[in-house]
Amino acid sequence: MKYLAQRVIHAMALLLAISFFSFALLQLAPGDYFDSMRLNPQISSQALAGMRSQYGLDQPLPIRYERWLTALLHGQLGVSFASRGPVGPVLRLRARNTLVLSGTATLFAWLLALPIGIWSATKRNGWADRFWGLATSALLTVPDLVVFLGLLLLAIRTGWFPTGGMRTEATDGLGYWSDAKDLARHLILPALAVALVSVPILIRHIRAAMVEALESPFLRAARGHGIANSRLLFRYALPAASNPLISLAGFSVATMLSASALAEIVLGWPGLGPLLVESILSKDIYLVVAIVMLSSVFLVAGNLLADLLLFASDPRIRVE
Amino acid sequence: MQRVPFWNYCVFVAAATLSIGYARAQSHPAEEPMVAEVSSGHAGGRLVLAMRSEPKTLNPVLAQDAPSRDVIRCLTADLIHINRGSQKTEPALAKSWTASRDGRQYTLRLRRGLRFSDGQPLDADDVVFSFQVYLDEKIDSSERDLLVVGGKPISVEKVDQYTVRFEMAQPDAAAERLFDGIAILPRHLLEGAYRKGEFANAWSVSMAPAEFAGLGPFRLKEYVPGQRIVLERNPYYWKEDGSGHRLPYLDEVVFLFVPNEDTQVIRFQAGDADILTRFSAENFAVLEKQQAAKHYHLDDLGAGLEYNFMFFNLNGVDPKAQPEIARKQEWFEDKRFRQAVSEAIDRDSIVRLVYNGRATPLWTQVTPGNRLWVDPAIAHPALSVAHGRELLRSAGFSWKSDGSLQDSHGRPVEFSILTSSSNAQRVKIATLIQDDLSKLGMNVQINSLEFHTMVDRLLTSHDYEAAVMGLVSGDADPTSEMNVWMSSGDTHLWHPNQTQPATPWEAEMDRLMQQQLVELDHSKRKRLYDRVQEIVADELPVICLVSPNILVGASDRVGNFHAAILDPYTLWNIDQLYIQ
Amino acid sequence: MTHRHKLWAALALLVCLHALVFFAGFFAPYDFAAQNRDLTFAPPTRIHFLDAAGNFHARPFVYGLKNDPTSADGYAVDQARVYPMRFFSRGSAYRFGRVLPSGLHLFGVDDPGRLFLMGTDAFGRDQFSCFLYGGRISLMAGWIAAALSLLIGIIVGTLAGFYGGWIDQILMRGGELFLALPWLYLLFAVRAELPLHIAGWQVFLLLVAVMGLVGWARPARLIRGVVLSAKERNFVLAARGFGASDMHVICRHVLPQTYGVILTQITLLIPQYVLAEVTLSFLGLGASEPIPSWGTQLAALQQYYVLSSFWWMFLPAILLVPVFLLYYAAADALQERLASVPL
Repeated sequence: MKYLAQRVIHAMALLLAISFFSFALLQLAPGDYFDSMRLNPQISSQALAGMRSQYGLDQPLPIRYERWLTALLHGQLGVSFASRGPVGPVLRLRARNTLVLSGTATLFAWLLALPIGIWSATKRNGWADRFWGLATSALLTVPDLVVFLGLLLLAIRTGWFPTGGMRTEATDGLGYWSDAKDLARHLILPALAVALVSVPILIRHIRAAMVEALESPFLRAARGHGIANSRLLFRYALPAASNPLISLAGFSVATMLSASALAEIVLGWPGLGPLLVESILSKDIYLVVAIVMLSSVFLVAGNLLADLLLFASDPRIRVE
Repeated sequence: MQRVPFWNYCVFVAAATLSIGYARAQSHPAEEPMVAEVSSGHAGGRLVLAMRSEPKTLNPVLAQDAPSRDVIRCLTADLIHINRGSQKTEPALAKSWTASRDGRQYTLRLRRGLRFSDGQPLDADDVVFSFQVYLDEKIDSSERDLLVVGGKPISVEKVDQYTVRFEMAQPDAAAERLFDGIAILPRHLLEGAYRKGEFANAWSVSMAPAEFAGLGPFRLKEYVPGQRIVLERNPYYWKEDGSGHRLPYLDEVVFLFVPNEDTQVIRFQAGDADILTRFSAENFAVLEKQQAAKHYHLDDLGAGLEYNFMFFNLNGVDPKAQPEIARKQEWFEDKRFRQAVSEAIDRDSIVRLVYNGRATPLWTQVTPGNRLWVDPAIAHPALSVAHGRELLRSAGFSWKSDGSLQDSHGRPVEFSILTSSSNAQRVKIATLIQDDLSKLGMNVQINSLEFHTMVDRLLTSHDYEAAVMGLVSGDADPTSEMNVWMSSGDTHLWHPNQTQPATPWEAEMDRLMQQQLVELDHSKRKRLYDRVQEIVADELPVICLVSPNILVGASDRVGNFHAAILDPYTLWNIDQLYIQ
Repeated sequence: MTHRHKLWAALALLVCLHALVFFAGFFAPYDFAAQNRDLTFAPPTRIHFLDAAGNFHARPFVYGLKNDPTSADGYAVDQARVYPMRFFSRGSAYRFGRVLPSGLHLFGVDDPGRLFLMGTDAFGRDQFSCFLYGGRISLMAGWIAAALSLLIGIIVGTLAGFYGGWIDQILMRGGELFLALPWLYLLFAVRAELPLHIAGWQVFLLLVAVMGLVGWARPARLIRGVVLSAKERNFVLAARGFGASDMHVICRHVLPQTYGVILTQITLLIPQYVLAEVTLSFLGLGASEPIPSWGTQLAALQQYYVLSSFWWMFLPAILLVPVFLLYYAAADALQERLASVPL
């Protein structure tokens, strides 16, 4: 309990520091959102100055940070200049899209990696194991970007998958089932892309953990007792191997908002990744800070969750 | 008791009925619609458009981004409208107007009997209210500056129920054009919010359709966040076609939100979208091949209003603070140097390589697409590196044995070109220029910076040597570019915000621009502005390069499709489009 | 293959790769900035041994290329013009090893023939030459950033692991902070502040250096882990028992135990930072024109029409894979080698 409280306090302090430094970082480069309008001959500098002071952009940094912090305590995340409205709704929509993508991708990844990892572990050093070992090495070598570009090229050339977006707009409103099918069609490629990036590492870790469990003395003893192989595998080895897997699962949660960023940008999925880049490039500062904070919350919470799960599931840790 | 005679009673009833009828007629007079010059077309059908990003607001006073404006244009109407096809003004909500002798007062007469899309009548009070909101400093509309003439905002006065008088501090030759885009707002719906100071929250994209009332051809039907916005026909629209049918022809307009231009193109090709507005030259090449097969047609409308140019830093920089730049300005300020650069740049290569041939080379700021103001007499010197070298030689430059250029003091001629990293085309233009100028022996470096940093360097710190940029005027009229050509202007890019004109030709340009602002005769105005174009082509404060062509496409089943080079290009006559 | 053979093979191949890139002037037939404005987006040139009549030529040759608006890609082969390939030919000037001026190229064809092994880009620049020259910038970027982040990571990790306690807490929390912040802004800020007169490639390398400087958190964590276990070893305790100073213990006893990890980290960090360079180029912070880098070559693929119509522009992406493979193989071999050596 004390441990938990300590971790939570650390997490809060970290988030505060992140918010402050993000704010400070954003001021380093010259210019702000309204500079893009300076080049419009029909908008006068007085009008721009008026817009700036309306959003408090003419105040010095500490005052702005303080205002933002107090607004945050009231549950408001600031204003997005680009959409001239509060950050909340924009963030919610895009975060939802990203969670859909990374949730599905994580599911794919584990569904693929678990069986393959376990199989490789049981047949270690056999041809299957060698094959999967080579395959994961190959996949690890190819940079993420190249994987995404390759999948995009595949989609463009073959036309099997829609390229970009979450929905085929013209067919919307025909009922939940067709909506779901349409979403699934758009989801496959990006989810596959994100899953492919994490699958090799997952397979390796799962295999390593299973191998360690399978070669441990207690399992040999259990085998000696004559327990059937399948029971051995699922009721004895897997639980013992779960320690590192649980922390892996926790990390999956931690990176749920950030891992898919590059894939979203390349494959055109309307999530937080493209929004972050867009708002950084247009200097929509409150939106940037909000996104960074949200990702950090997930990061910190995911790590905490992983630690807690470990704590709960592994008695060895509790004893220490 | 005295009995009232029967015939007295009749007279009384008759008088009462007549007066009631008269009063009724006054409050709901017969409608005076505008007759559009179109006769073909029939009612019905649904137009689908793919839009690159979502509208941020439906509030005409606050909208700044293009998607918001595109949708708002379909929902609202203005007093005097610029017909994008002819590029001239025409009556809209105002059926006629008179200008005072001195050109400072305009008295506009509204059409009678018009109603908003919710059935409520339109009258001068709505007009006065609308202008009050647009001019309100606390609301800070970006349109407000357009309504400031001679340093003072225009004043609006109701004369009677259907007449409004506008007065300006000085005559404005382009006064009629001011009214385009100033949407007339329904007082009965918005005055409450305005008085409470909540106008900024009114008419957001997610408002209920019942809260909206406009005078445009369509009204809001549905908004699905992240997906689409649907408009339906406005049954009270005040225009009819030549045969007396009430416009618009279309039943519904759907704006689909797509993430980027490539998706727009894909949707158009697949037939999901009916119109494609302004896409890149590369996509044109891809789409061109399938025109017949997929039943759509593409149009290359020629040059639009955008002009891309290169310019040098002609600011008076402090030699102690920025010694390098101050030194190089000795070259930049020599007209022969700028001319040599202009003559060495291969504009045809830019047209071919950057825009796939779908652009028009320029030698001055007004493009051929601007029919009312283009000056065909401006010289188009051909590409000539040899002549460039001659000019440089006469200016005291010479070449070293390795071919590099040096000035009269023996210093090598090297400078950097600033450009925005997010605009791929301008970076390409700069790369081509870099290669072209190497033929003159100049060593040019390209600095592509993030957009806001670039703007800061150009307009605030003046820490740059040369830059490649582009501008699009909001309107074809030169008055929309006052801030660019006046030496005191904010966007007088090469040397903004001058207190006194730094050179005689800038002083001359100032005079000419001020004169054309108040000159009411068009041919005289044209001569004045022609002279401005001549100065630009001759003195080269900006070296104009190219104007990208306006490329549009439409499905074959869209009738009355007449795209124009002025924004909004394809939707300006949306009330006349129909599905065949 | 034994560990040692594997390691030497991987290292030898890496040296070959770097030599190829270092001597790009010799191996590349053209200068990276040479534009051929009539031959934009030309497909890779086919090398022939058999001519149209079916005769075999020992010296391979290429045909001329001409513009043909009617063909799919806008080009047609002109069989009337034959250009034999020349080896050790004279071509555009460059500096051999960056020092000696030279005009010698490994292979090429006479003007006006062109040999585009990987096609051309929007300006008609030979993509093969750009790839070789681009490797200079990208690999240099990887090395510089990796070295910087590792250097700081070593210092921080050693201090945190050795002293423990609140120093450890602060440094590790600081590391988490660094991992979470959006450093992109710092990069934009640095880019914005730089004066105009720094060459494009220098600007770029500065940005990469900044990236390396802020990326110390992960290596630090790893090094800290090693130091934590290393400092408990018997000989270390013995040295401390003898009264050796902290600095002495760190430098002579603890750090050597980390060398293995450091070496493997370098081989893993370099490709990571090469990728980071690619990402920077995607966002417009890459090397400015006309300097090529692998990142700018890939950044051209951001536009759909390039990706779908000109397949050869994808080749640099594919060629990255063997480069990364070499680094990862070296890292693997190093790990195995070190694991097999008793500590």
